[in-house]
Amino acid sequence: MTLTRRHGSATVALPSEREVLVTRKFDAPAELLFDVLTKPEHVRVWFTDGDQDLEVCDIDLRVGGDYRYVGVFADGTRCAFHGTFIEIERPTRTVETWVFEGRPDDEAVETVELHEQGGVTTMRNVLAFKDQATRDATLWAAADGVHAADGIQGSYDNLEDYLATLT
Amino acid sequence: MARAAAASDVFNAISETHRREILDALMPGERPVGELVDALRLTQAQVSKHLRVLSDAGLVKCRADGRRRLYRVDHERLRPLHDWMEKYERHWNARLDRLDDYLGDLQRKDAE
Repeated sequence: MTLTRRHGSATVALPSEREVLVTRKFDAPAELLFDVLTKPEHVRVWFTDGDQDLEVCDIDLRVGGDYRYVGVFADGTRCAFHGTFIEIERPTRTVETWVFEGRPDDEAVETVELHEQGGVTTMRNVLAFKDQATRDATLWAAADGVHAADGIQGSYDNLEDYLATLT
Repeated sequence: MARAAAASDVFNAISETHRREILDALMPGERPVGELVDALRLTQAQVSKHLRVLSDAGLVKCRADGRRRLYRVDHERLRPLHDWMEKYERHWNARLDRLDDYLGDLQRKDAE
């Protein structure tokens, strides 16, 4: 499925030595985007692609409540992370701890902010690590995992192309 | 993992504000230490110390021009950082494209 995306791509920036910021605009009201980001029945639909099965998607959306996601790649590799909600202001903001279970000692704090203007909602997602070394090591590990997944996704794409030639 | 180690050296080298300023100052082309001292308002000793860290990470190269030493950015060595940013951006975009499509589906369904 190809849809025209009015607001294009996400941008990734390193606004300070220990943070990473992802910004993206969506053609949807903040209320809807907030629900799609925080309700398991929605998250299950978009969070993972064909290369990864979302085995666990638990979200207890209240201050002090926990969330946990576990994705399983086609080769059986698991990618899990979890955290606890610190602030919830529907539909504009959540703050939660963020732990990548591959590096359980390197807890970060994630802040998600939604700002709606004229029907378009801008999402800002900031992950703040305790220091620069932790950020770089964690994100590098995560990006490497993603890199591996890219390869798997690529092979699915190839298969899809091949199947298309048969029908 | 030689690749990851090389990348973390680069990350470490650019973790310091003055070192990032030195790289910025060298982006247009090579410059002698004296000009960096003037541009950044640091002491010669401070600039030399930062240049040493950048050199060790391979991010700047140096050549002698008579009695002056000229420094320049090795753009090739900045590539791991660019690669990493691209990879991370791709990962986010793949996921957020799915989110975007899903939001579109929900709103179309709602409009029907």
